[in-house]
Amino acid sequence: MTSSINNHSHFVLTLTFLLTSLTLYTSVMAWIIILVICAVTMRLALYFQLHKHAPSIRTLNLLALLSGIVLAYFSLQLGVLLGMLNLLVMASALKLMLLRNNRDYHQLVTTVGFLIGCGFIFQQGIVFSIIYLLLMVALILSLALHYSPSKSLLQTSKDISIMGLQALPIALLLFLVMPKFDPLWQMPAAKSTETGLSEKITPGDIAKLSQSSDLVFRASFTGDIPQPQERYWRAIVLEDFDGASWQISPQRMAINNQYRQYSEEFDASGEGRVFQYEVFAEPTHQNWLYAIDVAIPDGSYSNQRIWQNHDYQLISQAPLVSTFQYKVKSYPSANLNQSLYSLDKRINLQLPPKTGNPKTQAWVDNLRSQHPDDVDFAQKILEYFENQGFSYTLKPPLMQDEPVDQFLFEAKQGFCSHYASAMAYALRLGGIPARLVTGYQGGELRSDYLSIYQYDAHAWVEAWFDETGWQRIDPTAVVAPDRIQYGLQSAVEAENFLYNSPFSLARFNSVTWLNDLRLMLNSVDYAWTKWVLGFDQEQQKDLFKSFIGELTPRKVALFAFGVFALIFTLIALFYLPLWRKPKLDKSTSYYLKAQQILGKLGIYRADSKGPIDFSSQVARATDMSISAPFERLTKLYVIHMYRPDTPIELRKHHAMMAKELSKMKAAVKALGKVEVLEQS
Amino acid sequence: MLNRHEVFGRWLDKRIPSANRFELDHKSIFIFPSKFGALFLFLCSGLFLLGTNYQNNLMIMLCYFLVSLFLLNLFITYVNFSKLDLQLGKTHNGFVNDSIQIPIWFNQSEHKKQRPNGDLQIGFYKHANFLTLDLNDFSNPVYLALPCEARGRLELPRVTICSYYPLGLFRCWTHLKFKTSLLVYPAPISTPISLQNSSENPKGHGQREQTMGYDDFDSLTPYKKGEPLNHVAWKQLAKGQGMISKQFSTQQSNTGWLVLQKTSPEFIEKQLSHLCFQVMELSKNEQRFGLNLGTTQILPATGNEHQKACLEALAIYPQSLATIKEV
Repeated sequence: MTSSINNHSHFVLTLTFLLTSLTLYTSVMAWIIILVICAVTMRLALYFQLHKHAPSIRTLNLLALLSGIVLAYFSLQLGVLLGMLNLLVMASALKLMLLRNNRDYHQLVTTVGFLIGCGFIFQQGIVFSIIYLLLMVALILSLALHYSPSKSLLQTSKDISIMGLQALPIALLLFLVMPKFDPLWQMPAAKSTETGLSEKITPGDIAKLSQSSDLVFRASFTGDIPQPQERYWRAIVLEDFDGASWQISPQRMAINNQYRQYSEEFDASGEGRVFQYEVFAEPTHQNWLYAIDVAIPDGSYSNQRIWQNHDYQLISQAPLVSTFQYKVKSYPSANLNQSLYSLDKRINLQLPPKTGNPKTQAWVDNLRSQHPDDVDFAQKILEYFENQGFSYTLKPPLMQDEPVDQFLFEAKQGFCSHYASAMAYALRLGGIPARLVTGYQGGELRSDYLSIYQYDAHAWVEAWFDETGWQRIDPTAVVAPDRIQYGLQSAVEAENFLYNSPFSLARFNSVTWLNDLRLMLNSVDYAWTKWVLGFDQEQQKDLFKSFIGELTPRKVALFAFGVFALIFTLIALFYLPLWRKPKLDKSTSYYLKAQQILGKLGIYRADSKGPIDFSSQVARATDMSISAPFERLTKLYVIHMYRPDTPIELRKHHAMMAKELSKMKAAVKALGKVEVLEQS
Repeated sequence: MLNRHEVFGRWLDKRIPSANRFELDHKSIFIFPSKFGALFLFLCSGLFLLGTNYQNNLMIMLCYFLVSLFLLNLFITYVNFSKLDLQLGKTHNGFVNDSIQIPIWFNQSEHKKQRPNGDLQIGFYKHANFLTLDLNDFSNPVYLALPCEARGRLELPRVTICSYYPLGLFRCWTHLKFKTSLLVYPAPISTPISLQNSSENPKGHGQREQTMGYDDFDSLTPYKKGEPLNHVAWKQLAKGQGMISKQFSTQQSNTGWLVLQKTSPEFIEKQLSHLCFQVMELSKNEQRFGLNLGTTQILPATGNEHQKACLEALAIYPQSLATIKEV
């Protein structure tokens, strides 16, 4: 039974638990956070002796039962991952209320440790990594205080910091050399609450995305970097239109599933100009990836993890639960005519089942009759956008009934998805296969990498022309060329850019030092993503290669052995100095040596005998040649022990003692010879 | 066939022979992960699985950080424990149903760095009660209570010391055997004093002297050199009447023998307890008496040494005192 009164260990643990739960606030339900706060308040009241009695076990069991029922009620809606996390936080809160003995304490420490680890599922930035590391150190501090309660807090913190600093290099070595495994089994992904592209869009949805300055991915280029107007990052292809919104075609999904079953991966080919780059995608808990057309995964690592779809999409084999990096080669001048045309045509000429948007239909019929040529027809639609006073805005009016009609002939205001949706619909009405592609357009260039944010989200049209196959048409480029060339910020008025996130640093691009700060943070974050979060099997292999050259089993074994030897050397370095006994005083060591010599002659000093008594015992037992120097040595030793010497005296005494010692040695040797002679 | 405990006991005797002072080293220290250590490793493996399945390097790094801490703790726990240096203090014999306080002195090295830290659990090997000693806040010596259950020689059980410092991940422990011989006297049971003049006729009721009222105050006489100081009449001294000694009536009574009656074995223990009580009482009153146990005879005398000899004879009955001296 341990009491919390003035128990620093419990105090630190309580605070650590509180902070850990607070960092998880986005994933933990509000009532559980309240439960946590109650438990913390209760424990702190006990610590500060504001209250004397912990709640009884019966009360806590009742509370646990009730909480369990409520959590079970919410569990379906939470999904497995968040459900487990909420359960863990709730159980810890109840344990904190209970906290009676060592066992409770240890269980609580372990669960809080695990919660800190879980925090990394949701937060992987540098700042949060440091916070979680500090929380872990605080947890260890709590343990240390538990096992040495009377040591001063300062001393304990110092010891813990030293221990942590010693553990870091070892942990780093282990991280670098321990083999990295593929996921052992599929873990439940959190239901995406993040902003991001979705698999069904209604025009206007992307305008919401433009309010977020969250990072989506970074692409680091080797060689050529695409021009701004070439930076079209394909993510999702939407081929099913119901008159208002676009989504992934169910037919396409069924066909893709079949391809998957038979492992018939689409094998795109490219020629001409090539961009080579590596993408570091932020976790989305979704599968689709980003790439410039025509994209082909580069290298075996990326090929194993990426599936190519027949609509030129790259799909990750596993949901992106952590930072995922992959290498891609993009051929911007290659034609997108490599997929099965008959299928694409069938899907992409479908019109909404119920006829609507009559004005649009009439307009298209008219236009198509004037321009039988496909390219010409598409060109005329773009010209309509260009010449009829259309404007690009983040806040278009609501268009609910016959949305395309309203957009084309009344509002004439819209965001990229309005234009893309209207154009794709018009093309389909005109008998040209067309579809909507969503993804990102643009990116902020810094040295050799591009950072792409949510506000770069974009939608454009792909239409099939017999000569070239799928051809990208971006009506936004006609209406707001600045959007494509310079990004969203220059295309909309300043007050509209990120108007929902007034404190986003990206809003203040015009303030030089703030922008510099933002760019610097960006580079630090990039380095972190690339070298820490993105350290994978491939990079590990490269690292090994740079150390030991070609990887043969023998070399790898030797290398592993070397690393473990290094780890043990490190530990030995940390602790060997402590093992050494305090160094003996020089006079004492001389005296002990003299005793050893006498020991060879069979004369030992009893523990109870003082040095002077022993000296007279030696005088009685041995020859003068030995006892005389020993007597002098003893005298010097006694003087030294009972009267502090000046440093000069001390040196003189030591020299004299050394001399006496050597005399003794010589005498013992001579004696040995005499004995041998006598025996012979 | 030896059972498991005996084999282990013999092995321990060889590995950690008895001594009066111990500096712990690799021969006497045992170390193994504690239950919490196992739980901690479970946490590490949980983090590793989670990190691998989510391909999350930070989780894996955290896992390795904890594993390195675990490794370091193996050494820290060991080094801290090996700084222990302990010595048995002066022990006293005790009575049945009582307990003997065993004093143990812990080192107080001058150098702070040479001193061990944290909580220690101390107790006797295979005994349930362990006491917790905070090495950062304690005073020497530390007393361990050893319960005395039976009369006779008592072997000091091995003293088990264990430490979980600094994080409780490892349990470091040792079983130390201290060189000492302890005797347990019979439990004193209150009874009237019966002294016999055994030189004439131990069984003769006529010669038995009732010594009830031995502490009755009799008279005051001038103090003679050699008389016990607690007989000095301090009141009179304070009044300025000089050193005057109180005389008690029993002071003059004859010396006698305490005799163990020949009875059936089941009454022997009770008789020994009675004798023990009388030895204590008579010695308290500084009366001369002898002890006749049949196997052992102790001539009449007074004083602490005499009392101790008598109690020892009672403790080891039916063996004789001579066997004690041999030990």
